[in-house]
Amino acid sequence: MISNEEYNYVILSNDIDKVFLAKYSEYPMIDNISFSELRSKLEFNTTKRIVFNNTFYGYREDEIKEIMELLKKQNIKFVLITSNVEEALYGDYILVYDGKNIVLEGLKEVVLKEEKKLKHLGYGLPFVVDLSIQLTYYDVFDKVYFDIDNMIGDLWN
Amino acid sequence: MELGSLNGNVIGVIADNYKSDDFKDTLVSEIITKRIEETLKMVKLESSVLEKRFSDLSSRNKEKVILASKLHDKEIILVNFSEGLIKSDLDYFKTLFRRVTKYNKKVILIDKNTELFLNCVDRIYVLEQDAIKYETVDIFDKILELYVDLPKIVDFANRCEKVGVRLDHYTELDELMKAIYRIKS
Repeated sequence: MISNEEYNYVILSNDIDKVFLAKYSEYPMIDNISFSELRSKLEFNTTKRIVFNNTFYGYREDEIKEIMELLKKQNIKFVLITSNVEEALYGDYILVYDGKNIVLEGLKEVVLKEEKKLKHLGYGLPFVVDLSIQLTYYDVFDKVYFDIDNMIGDLWN
Repeated sequence: MELGSLNGNVIGVIADNYKSDDFKDTLVSEIITKRIEETLKMVKLESSVLEKRFSDLSSRNKEKVILASKLHDKEIILVNFSEGLIKSDLDYFKTLFRRVTKYNKKVILIDKNTELFLNCVDRIYVLEQDAIKYETVDIFDKILELYVDLPKIVDFANRCEKVGVRLDHYTELDELMKAIYRIKS
């Protein structure tokens, strides 16, 4: 499943149990720990890839961004397993599960445009993607945005 | 703090010192014991879940089982209920919470994800060391931002305001989109 060493993967799953997590057991896994604990852990990390199991639940956006910067600086790649579609924005490549089956996969910019499928599966879309897609229907935009500041900049420029 | 004394029917609470329920290896059939069939249906669980151990469930189903175990209580207190749920679950349970309050029940959601509060809670409390630090009825209240990230649609309105565009307080994407369209055209 992890075929490109350069990518950060996001796994969207609606059925994260022990069996599901076992698929990613070849990498060290971090569950939900506090932001400060995670930051310290990453500073002393020596592995090339880490699996985050719903780790960012309850983190503030600024904290997740700080973790992303730290990962980049340390040259650590990740697999982020989550049920929260907003977190898909942090990945390069997304795998979408329905139960135990992969139903959709590809680069973030491709997968997150699958509006009908993602909504049908119940995940929905990240807010910025959803709003920009809706605004393309109204001819306000002609592209989909993945960054809220870029979207606001272009919208009210 | 006696959470039941907080005002409101569906109440959002931001606090750090509460832990999610954990039934460990208990069989689900020993956790959900009241009006089983109806309860499973209300929380959208299959009856096969009854034969499983709590620890073997997905994080999503754990939350549903916890809710099912409390659904017939007068005060339903859920800690970090949104963890593991997907968006359609959140939408469904928000409606369910509003519905159960018609039966003289109070729902208290201690959660870090304010998307759960949007279009659901009557009042939001910030608790620190068991005391009320702040309370509001408005999810657009900017002071809340000091304690927690606000729902994306609220955050969007706040960011627009920072660049000089004041939007009304829309809580639905459809309404927001139409408002943007009106301004742009």
